Amino acid sequence: MDLFLQTLLNGLLIGGVIATFTIAFQLAFGVLHVIDFAVGGWVVLGGYLGYYITAWLGLDGFIAIPLAFVVFGALGYLIGPMLYNVRNSRTARPELMALALSFGLFTLLRGGMLTAWGFNTRNVTTTLSGESLAIGPVTVPLIRVVAAVFAAAIAGGLFLFLYRTRYGLAIRATAENRHNAALMGVNIGRLSANVYGLYAGITAMAGVLMGAIYSVNPEVGLRYTLFAFFVAVLAGLGSVEGALMAALLLGVIEAFVSTYVGSSYSLLAIFTTLFLVLLISPRGILRRGL
Amino acid sequence: MAPIDRSFSRRRFLGGSAMAVTAGALGMPFVRTARAQAATFKAGVITSLSGENILGGNLTKQGYDLWADAINAKGGVEVAGDRFKVEMFYGDDQSSPATGADAAERLIVQNGVDVLFGPYTSGSTIAVQPICQKYQVPMISGSAESPNVWKAKPEFNFGIIPAVDTTSGLSLGVLAKLSKPAAKTVAVISVNEPFSKETGEGFRDGAKAAGLELATYELVPPEGDLTPVISKIAALNPDIIAVGGHEEVLINVVKTSKSLNYRPKALIMHYGITNPAFAQALGADADGTTGVVVWLPTVSYKDDVFGTAKDFAQMAQKKLGGEPDYTAAACAASGLVLGDALKRLGKKPALTPENRVALKDAIAETDIQTFYGPIKFEKDGPHYHDNIQPVPVLVQIQGGKTVAVGPKEAAAANYIYPLPAWK
Repeated sequence: MDLFLQTLLNGLLIGGVIATFTIAFQLAFGVLHVIDFAVGGWVVLGGYLGYYITAWLGLDGFIAIPLAFVVFGALGYLIGPMLYNVRNSRTARPELMALALSFGLFTLLRGGMLTAWGFNTRNVTTTLSGESLAIGPVTVPLIRVVAAVFAAAIAGGLFLFLYRTRYGLAIRATAENRHNAALMGVNIGRLSANVYGLYAGITAMAGVLMGAIYSVNPEVGLRYTLFAFFVAVLAGLGSVEGALMAALLLGVIEAFVSTYVGSSYSLLAIFTTLFLVLLISPRGILRRGL
Repeated sequence: MAPIDRSFSRRRFLGGSAMAVTAGALGMPFVRTARAQAATFKAGVITSLSGENILGGNLTKQGYDLWADAINAKGGVEVAGDRFKVEMFYGDDQSSPATGADAAERLIVQNGVDVLFGPYTSGSTIAVQPICQKYQVPMISGSAESPNVWKAKPEFNFGIIPAVDTTSGLSLGVLAKLSKPAAKTVAVISVNEPFSKETGEGFRDGAKAAGLELATYELVPPEGDLTPVISKIAALNPDIIAVGGHEEVLINVVKTSKSLNYRPKALIMHYGITNPAFAQALGADADGTTGVVVWLPTVSYKDDVFGTAKDFAQMAQKKLGGEPDYTAAACAASGLVLGDALKRLGKKPALTPENRVALKDAIAETDIQTFYGPIKFEKDGPHYHDNIQPVPVLVQIQGGKTVAVGPKEAAAANYIYPLPAWK
């Protein structure tokens, strides 16, 4: 029973961790209609910022979180229009061109980091690194709780922003029908740049947490891209509210399969779930995807 | 007047340049002939000089170069009373096995090398083996550690480092002997990728030989989260956790077990803990982690070219700016094997195809003592042409430094067992 409770907690916390970098990914897809391969690159960039803040300045890794939002949000804001222009160009299959561009961006980020910072694996230290709380028979890793709370806050914040503000309305209108939104006076180009900046900033913030929970090197980006994609498909592409639930579901599946069946079967179980969801409900578990 | 002057000077400049180029082109063949007259042995180094394995690739290159520099400083390799210098050629496998095979072929066909020094990764080594067989060129590998490199019985390939299944297996026996009270159970975590899986299987099989009970054997995907696995192992509470994986996974194992407030009595890993980045990343949490190496600068071996292991370490430190690890040492020792085989072969450069085959046979008969330790290649069995002579040395991180703790004759410090609880 103790192991069962611990496994359930592990699963929910893994889900919380995965959710941190997938919620904004969903938003970007909803508005830009681009599956951004570079999502793992933004995560790793955030992780490195966290590492250099702790290693060079000797500060707590948490300080890097708002900084990551500012730095990489600005970078995303500059890159966003490029992706938007490719996606809306008059070339044949612009959606594939945009996918190729984001893949190129990911390769560039990965290669650039490898050249600039080398291959060594780095770690982000925070006041809560390695700290845990014992509640009865269950051990709660505090840094993961921070990640789960962060994910919930981001999801809640985005929800309020999208449904309670005028700008949120414009974003939703653009996600639903770009042409009509443009006719209603929404500047689609600038809105896309803002959304991509917001997404890059939030994802880099999650990256600082990933560096604190796991570790960071230029090669780990691909795995975050992979998981972001799993969650996006399970949630229904573009569904922000579905992302949190889908991430939790994936986390719980991974934890239970690893503990009770065998770790080597965890990815198999995740793929089987994805396959079944695509078969039964192609628009995701909440049936709200695009 | 001015424009005429300028055109005149431009013409003179162009004329002068043309003469210089012509003279250079005419001069080149003479320079080449002059160089060709001093016969040298040509050795090709094939390793990862770009891509994800660039660090390890350079480590192997530097190791091989240390030997070339040392032997050339002595006037070259001694053959039948004369000395012949060694000329090094480099091929980049770009961290990809297929590219490695192409680069090896180029070194053999275009540069006409007499012998190859092998890649950093086992994957590239396996890809280059058929090329060596095709052109009948021997290759000495100073880095490959996967047992799969030797399972196919490569006729022209020889390995200096014992395959990881022998070292990881034996190391558990050494650890069990050092532990007081004696360790009884072990859990093995192995990442599901070639090198790591073989290390894990070595630990698993070695546990039986060491009389340890295997609590669980966990094969984890490289992308997986480790909390479920560590929680499961914590519930089984084994004395030892043994990990087969690269440094990123090793770092994550330590971080995850601390975040779950669980610490086994001993944590042993194979490769990676001697990389300074491991201790840097984990700080004080790295302390107590046990690792396995086949060579340390403190071992008591020596030879004529490098002197003692300590002399070698000092020479490497001067040239590389850091303490050499066992891969750099094994690569340098690869050169010693070549030098010894060439001396016994007694053929002057450049080697004919028949002589290259004879060189392969001479390498197979190697039985020498070096600063790296004894080198003698297996003539049969699953480790065909691998040097399984070196005894693994157990190291432990103590106060941020890697120190030898066992077996007893190699120990420089006492083994800390059981590990204290996390602070």
